[in-house]
Amino acid sequence: MVKFTAEELRRIMDFKHNIRNMSVIAHVDHGKSTLTDSLVAAAGIIAQEVAGDVRMTDTRQDEAERGITIKSTGISLYYEMSDDALKSYKGERNGNEYLINLIDSPGHVDFSSEVTAALRITDGALVVVDCVEGVCVQTETVLRQALGERIRPVLTVNKMDRCFLELQVDGEEAYQTFQRVIENANVIMATYEDPLLGDCQVYPEKGTVAFSAGLHGWAFTLTNFAKMYASKFGVDEAKMMERLWGENFFDPATKKWTTKNTGSPTCKRGFVQFCYEPIKQIINTCMNDQKDKLWPMLQKLGVTMKSEEKDLMGKALMKRVMQTWLPASNALLEMMIFHLPSPATAQKYRVENLYEGPLDDPYATAIRNCDPEGPLMLYVSKMIPASDKGRFFAFGRVFSGKVSTGLKVRIMGPNYVPGEKKDLYVKSVQRTVIWMGKKQETVEDVPCGNTVAMVGLDQFITKNATLTNEKEVDAHPIRAMKFSVSPVVRVAVQCKVASDLPKLVEGLKRLAKSDPMVVCTIEESGEHIIAGAGELHLEICLKDLQDDFMGGAEIIKSDPVVSFRETVLEKSCRIVMSKSPNKHNRLYMEARPMEDGLAEAIDEGRIGPRDDPKARAKILSEEFGWDKDLAKKIWCFGPETTGPNMVVDMCKGVQYLNEIKDSVVAGFQWASKEGALAEENMRGICFEVCDVVLHADAIHRGGGQIIPTARRVIYASQLTAKPRLLEPVYLVEIQAPEQALGGIYSVLNQKRGHVFEELQRPGTPLYNIKAYLPVVESFGFSGTLRAATSGQAFPQCVFDHWDMMSSDPLEAGSQAAQLVSDIRKRKGLKEQMTPLSEYEDKL
Amino acid sequence: MDSKEVYEIDRTADFIHCKNFTKVALQFPDELLKDSVRVVSALRDKLQLLRESVTEQNGDSKQVRLFVMADTTYGSCCVDEVGASHANADCVIHYGHTCLSPTSTLPAFFVFGKASISISNCAKSLSDYASTNSKPIVVVYGLEYVHAIPHVREELVALSSMQSGPKHQDIHFADVVCSVINPSDDQKNPVGLPRPVGDYSASVEVEAAAGSSYRIGGLIWELPNGHRMEDYLLVWVGSSNSAFANVVLTFNGCEIVRYDALENRLVTDLSQQRRILKRRYYLVEKAKDANIVGILVGTLGVAGYLDMIHQMKELITSAGKKAYTLVMGRPNPAKLANFPECDVFIYVSCAQTALLDSKEFLAPVITPFEAMVAFGRGKQWSGEYVMEFRDLINSSPVEAKDKSEEARFSFMQGRYVEDFDLQESIEEDDGALALVNATEKALQLHDTNSASLVKRTIKSGAEYFANRSYQGLDMHNDNSLPEPYLIGRTGKASGYEHEKSKTDNL
Repeated sequence: MVKFTAEELRRIMDFKHNIRNMSVIAHVDHGKSTLTDSLVAAAGIIAQEVAGDVRMTDTRQDEAERGITIKSTGISLYYEMSDDALKSYKGERNGNEYLINLIDSPGHVDFSSEVTAALRITDGALVVVDCVEGVCVQTETVLRQALGERIRPVLTVNKMDRCFLELQVDGEEAYQTFQRVIENANVIMATYEDPLLGDCQVYPEKGTVAFSAGLHGWAFTLTNFAKMYASKFGVDEAKMMERLWGENFFDPATKKWTTKNTGSPTCKRGFVQFCYEPIKQIINTCMNDQKDKLWPMLQKLGVTMKSEEKDLMGKALMKRVMQTWLPASNALLEMMIFHLPSPATAQKYRVENLYEGPLDDPYATAIRNCDPEGPLMLYVSKMIPASDKGRFFAFGRVFSGKVSTGLKVRIMGPNYVPGEKKDLYVKSVQRTVIWMGKKQETVEDVPCGNTVAMVGLDQFITKNATLTNEKEVDAHPIRAMKFSVSPVVRVAVQCKVASDLPKLVEGLKRLAKSDPMVVCTIEESGEHIIAGAGELHLEICLKDLQDDFMGGAEIIKSDPVVSFRETVLEKSCRIVMSKSPNKHNRLYMEARPMEDGLAEAIDEGRIGPRDDPKARAKILSEEFGWDKDLAKKIWCFGPETTGPNMVVDMCKGVQYLNEIKDSVVAGFQWASKEGALAEENMRGICFEVCDVVLHADAIHRGGGQIIPTARRVIYASQLTAKPRLLEPVYLVEIQAPEQALGGIYSVLNQKRGHVFEELQRPGTPLYNIKAYLPVVESFGFSGTLRAATSGQAFPQCVFDHWDMMSSDPLEAGSQAAQLVSDIRKRKGLKEQMTPLSEYEDKL
Repeated sequence: MDSKEVYEIDRTADFIHCKNFTKVALQFPDELLKDSVRVVSALRDKLQLLRESVTEQNGDSKQVRLFVMADTTYGSCCVDEVGASHANADCVIHYGHTCLSPTSTLPAFFVFGKASISISNCAKSLSDYASTNSKPIVVVYGLEYVHAIPHVREELVALSSMQSGPKHQDIHFADVVCSVINPSDDQKNPVGLPRPVGDYSASVEVEAAAGSSYRIGGLIWELPNGHRMEDYLLVWVGSSNSAFANVVLTFNGCEIVRYDALENRLVTDLSQQRRILKRRYYLVEKAKDANIVGILVGTLGVAGYLDMIHQMKELITSAGKKAYTLVMGRPNPAKLANFPECDVFIYVSCAQTALLDSKEFLAPVITPFEAMVAFGRGKQWSGEYVMEFRDLINSSPVEAKDKSEEARFSFMQGRYVEDFDLQESIEEDDGALALVNATEKALQLHDTNSASLVKRTIKSGAEYFANRSYQGLDMHNDNSLPEPYLIGRTGKASGYEHEKSKTDNL
């Protein structure tokens, strides 16, 4: 049934101008996987009849059951274009055969790390937007991600069938809707525009927008219609295309084009007159089974139906007719081939984004030129579980050179630093594989510009890595991916049977590998923690862990755990002092909250330990009002030397101060990781060393004396500066009809959420609500919301910021105090916080 | 109870007398030190009596000299042989709580002391507990209750004959190995290990002819063939001390309850104790990420400690890490913090002082067993736990050479990491070029920007010092003029003289 063989595919892989690597991205439920089906069908992997129902790329059972995509799935497709179709293609090409490496990605925000991984290895993106729901939260998120990676987008307005069958809107109204969808998308694209990528807004009249009905397997671009009418009107295609969109009206009565609606009843917009109406007519005729009318119409359009198809009735007939007349694959493929860049084109401008090293070295040049003879540069963006349990394919993209079976490669992990041996391995590739539908085909080698799966490297790659040739010791790695979501929801897992522990450990390792986002760690108390982006994500991870990675061994999971942060509200009420164990050294310190936005700047890496001190001082003094000299006296950041807390030296003329700096820093790293309240990380606290009295003999002011003292004085200063807890807060976006708003508000109120934006989507009864919701309250939120709105509201939650809890954790009985004691209990600490008197000493 | 009876004066005197010891060290833990004078005088009187009776017979006998030892350098549960040899003692009498760890040179006599216990109450609790459970029971106990155990056993028999209900043959009692340790008995044993009962090898479990015998903290018991410890319930009679923690950790597969003799009740909620195991597990995971390991010598007496230290060193080096041996007496946070370059410490000591876990420590302190789990590549914790390092000595570190090539997954960082030097050590076998390689490394350009606040991963102590921001006094001072002298601080550290006035002003 498959129309092509691995050999054919392999042959085109060498034609770098005839390759398109693209991902399908969209909001959840806008029809990515369904649309992908039609493309796969056209390649002959599945039957045309079932396209739209199979969801070819949802390979996992739970994906099929839930009807959502969880993992991004790659598929290589081969098409042969006709000469006719390609005659207006201006770019370079090599024959009529094309290879499309397509990646279907999940739409749910919890899995957006999968989208990130997909975007990295593609050059173009097909953005799918539901014509009724319009541009949604996740559409915006993925578009932003795509443009950040310099991925050129094309748009398809999907679910056209809803216009005709469900809503039955008339042409002008439909046009307005489509126009708005496209406009909204363009606004986003304009916001994140990139000078090198150029104008990436989409225009129907330029053929970068398609209109599709994934479920029924048909789609068109204005090019299709323009071709059809161009000869009829005797104008060229480009001219016709322009007329089919925008303010161009045609009056069949006068046979005149105008740029304004003349007001005559027969005067209609070009798009309505020539695209929308004919489709509507055909669909209606099919649905009403008016076959006598249908056949002549089809004949006029040059559509011939097979005889057995002529017996179909109603929807089935309509689907078939539309598929034959306007096959989705043709329109979409043409759009991709014409408007999405080939690897050769794309890598020219993407190299800057991709390569970490100097842009004039041989590796950067090879990537830029997409040079198959150059050194190998390959980025592994994700690990795909293989059918034999426990092994993984390393899935990635070859940016330059060739990867072949048996090749020895240098694996540079995410923590590799050029010149060091950290996170670096040399191993050989056992097999190179390409995906053809559900089955994998082994190929001898894969040249640059293509996606590839490799066997035999899984033991050395956690999630992603850069591969190069064994001898290329000077190569820098390809830049790590930046995820738009962060793992904030955590559960503790343990196995039911204690002796299953090795299985659990093994399972967690594999889980960490199989998902780009999930983080498996261990708590101080010895519990294994799985952290994910959201509830759904965790649910899937736990299921995978138990069923696939642990062979069904039972696990017990705790309730979701949210990590908090500790901060301070004000400057310490006094300078606190702690004495060293030998009482001969004294440290004086104060804590104060950092300026607004400083903690975020550190998070983003705008300010960090690696900065040039002068540059750092400049930012600090200009943006945050620091004293310039003070900015140079930052001792360190923490925890983990990069965190959003600092120690600043405010001492004047203290002897031996530089001698104890390392010890104070060590104490600070320790203390900032485990704050005084509940041993959560600290955030946004600046500790100022005010004075230091040290023993005159070096031996009495060593690390042993200073490190514990520094920790104690830091705790003391935290406790005297009105300590507060920070809780993580989600940004929730909900789209719902007006009647569901009441329910949404009540659920949000109940969950301590607050709405800060409510917008009606123009032209629809739908409202867009944006709200902040504490992550703690978000568990079961979507379930409650669905119940309260009878299933009409669907929330998308993304971690947004840390919010200070106003109640005082030091005041017995307050909400924060309760929370602190809960956390302490969970961690197995003393339930009572250590009092200030334990940390502060008196002279 | 009479102190003479508690301290077993008669038995002790007999022991000293029989073996003809002339210099005897009496080792007291801090809490019993107050009784030392009474014990010494009672013992001296008794010995005098015994001597006189002997002198009558054959006329020559030496005066026995007694020394009191206190404030031991390491745990007071072990015999302080070094302290005793300062006095040239030829025997140590150990009082109070003990771990019964074998000694390496001196014979030792243990006086466990006798803690009060309500025998009837204890027996009743035991029989009640036995009747509510179908599994057989093994009773283990703190050594301070040894004196009461035979009575409890009798009481139980009496109870069962009265009620005829539960079958008390299902209650097994552990036995005390012995209260005398004599290292000279075991000269043939290459590691200097005593071999009490049966063939003693790597693990706690020993396959003896009669069945498996188990041994912990000076107690020993046997189970019939084919029975495993998991089939039994453990009852611990005594307080919740380190000996009990050892039992909980070692037999973590068993259900364990504790009979509290002070409060006269069974304590069944041991969640706090269970937590220990998980916490230890965390420490092992943390230790896996360590690059520099400090071996803390926690005993100078327990037999085989030197072999253990050597074995640990080998293990650490073969895992590609750097080891330093440190002798510092009893570790405390301030002492350990003097070695901030160590990422983890291994504490080689007797079983009962081995568990050092405090949030105050900058780096975790683990036991040799945990170190073997952590540094043995490809080794996984399967749940078993071994406290006594003697049981580990023979277990081959060969497993560390397990050539599983997979990178190690670090749960601390949630990703795969590579252990240092594993690859390098393979490459650098070439002896001829070793020096060249070394100099090459020494000449490497280090980060000269001292203002940079980033620290690279550090593989050895020397590198740690090289990375410190403070490198010692700055000798390149251009200013060659002598500094004017300054008047320093005077007074006490709790408030120097010039500071007094400041505080007065406040």
